[in-house]
Amino acid sequence: MIQPHDSVIVRTLGHIVIPVAQLFGVYVLVFGQYGPGGGFVGGVVIAASMIMAILIFGIGSEDSALAKKILHGDGLGLLIFAGVGGLCMIGGGQFLNYSNLGIPSLDESSQHYVGILLTQLGVAVDVAVTGVSIAVSLSFEEDEISQEEVTHD
Amino acid sequence: MSSNLPILLFLVPFFAGVSMPIVTAKRRALCSRIALGTAIVMVVLATLNLRVVMTQGPIEYALGGWTAPIGIAWLNDSIAAVVVLTVSVVTLLSLIYGRLVVTSDLEKNVPYYTLILVMVSGLVGIVFAADLFNVFVFLEVAALTGYALVGAGGGKALVYAFRYLLLGSFGATLYLLGLSHLYVATGTLNMADLAVRLPELMTSTAVAGGLIYMFLGLSIKMALIPLHSWLPDAYTNAPSAVTPFLASTVTKVALVAWIRIEYSLIAPNVEVSAVPVLVLLEELGVIAALIGGALALIQTDLRRMFAYGGISHIGLILIGVSLGNDTGFAGGMFYLVNDAIMQAALFMIIGTIIYYHKAYTLDDIRGLGHHTSPWLTGALIIVAMAMVGLPPTGGFFGKWNIVLGALEAEHYLAAFTVVASTLLTLGYFLKVFAAWFLQPQDVEIQSIEVSNSIRLSLGVVSFAMIALGFMSDFVVQFLLQSVSSGGI
Repeated sequence: MIQPHDSVIVRTLGHIVIPVAQLFGVYVLVFGQYGPGGGFVGGVVIAASMIMAILIFGIGSEDSALAKKILHGDGLGLLIFAGVGGLCMIGGGQFLNYSNLGIPSLDESSQHYVGILLTQLGVAVDVAVTGVSIAVSLSFEEDEISQEEVTHD
Repeated sequence: MSSNLPILLFLVPFFAGVSMPIVTAKRRALCSRIALGTAIVMVVLATLNLRVVMTQGPIEYALGGWTAPIGIAWLNDSIAAVVVLTVSVVTLLSLIYGRLVVTSDLEKNVPYYTLILVMVSGLVGIVFAADLFNVFVFLEVAALTGYALVGAGGGKALVYAFRYLLLGSFGATLYLLGLSHLYVATGTLNMADLAVRLPELMTSTAVAGGLIYMFLGLSIKMALIPLHSWLPDAYTNAPSAVTPFLASTVTKVALVAWIRIEYSLIAPNVEVSAVPVLVLLEELGVIAALIGGALALIQTDLRRMFAYGGISHIGLILIGVSLGNDTGFAGGMFYLVNDAIMQAALFMIIGTIIYYHKAYTLDDIRGLGHHTSPWLTGALIIVAMAMVGLPPTGGFFGKWNIVLGALEAEHYLAAFTVVASTLLTLGYFLKVFAAWFLQPQDVEIQSIEVSNSIRLSLGVVSFAMIALGFMSDFVVQFLLQSVSSGGI
């Protein structure tokens, strides 16, 4: 089980570094449209920031609340991905054919842009959830997480 | 809408499986109903898809609107349509059957239904994919969920699930290694595109090595002797609720993946360093069929016996599809569909026997025939007829076509093997029936009434085995469409 870190330096730095890391993760995700990056890498960076929060503040702390909440998001990213693909099918095209995304007042290339961004968002969410779940399941017992929940609620 | 059927067949179980933990977070009891509903929708969609393929012929589905070879293509042909329908029906029946034997620990586990549905989506993906890398991805989806399902019961099954995981991952790695060889040699992964470029490259060791790696990888997945060792232990220890589904789909679908590769990439009569490739595959099938049958004959545990029976049938199917003529190919494919149903039936019967009588071995089932439900005895007799290959069951027509194909190709060893494996099958079923109808020594067996879900599932599989026999000519002709329309 991971104990919250008691060093002031680590905790203060954590408060500074974690938001920056998360912002960077979102940047990598969006930048993936034009250059290196994308959903997978962005998701990994976001997951790393949340794992860092768990390591520094412990799983039950308020500062790592997002990391704990995200554990319930299994499969959410897949649903986003499949949902975007499904929208394209409802629009009359093939699965993931973004031209048929069906957003009015957008030309075809913008529809492709939005479609890819949304699917990449799905990928990022899924990778982040998986990353955090791996870290949590390797370091905590099942009942420890729920116990923490009880003590902090 | 009808053009989107392949992807819908993939998305419906996938979506249902993935969203299940979220949807049922408050009401766990909904899980089994959602799973059943999804399976029913799949059977309907697969039937529609079969109709579409019958009327319009093979259809290529371009994901994202990008046509092959640039994009990823799925091929919806007669083989895919038939196999997907079989998988859907087996899934539905296994879920209906599972309502009784599923244990409460398994039931409480949301992942159990999620795993089954995601696994089905992976299997559908393997069958439709016309792209080597896509096959790999879906193979892994199906395999990872398969490992989890084998270990779902906990206890000793975990050890065998882990062993399955090690071997299965090794197989997947080999497959990936093989396809990367082909990619380096040709620059494409699309099967139709590869079929154009490969024939002149057959002398290249990279291509030959790639094909060998891919075959070895898939051999582990389809449990071809001598790479079968994970299968009997895994199926013996997996929860009774999942074995019919696993036994009837996993190995068969991996074999379908190989058959697609074999038929689109390896032309008949092709030789690599003076070794005729198809004949080599056929001989591997001969070995698997004979050794598998012999190993089944010496088992005393019923589940192991039938697991080895399934292994020997994989060999028979491989013989059929590797004969290099249409008759043998159709026989092999038809037998594959039959084998999926037979394996489901066998493991349903064993699961029911275990549930009601706590009988696991040949000794345990002594005299059961006099007291147990007639549904069980009836289903056992029909499945035995199908396994041995007696008309009018579908098993007969599959074997018959394989023998005809072997004689047509003048491969007498193959023809002999089919007959010999029939005798071996007869041998182990004689052992089962001898015990089944034997009077037990002063052990009182209570009579039982099987539940309605068991009656329904056993009734439908028994009916399917006989119905396939009556429809054999039609199904065989339909399967041959894929071959005649220029490569599958």
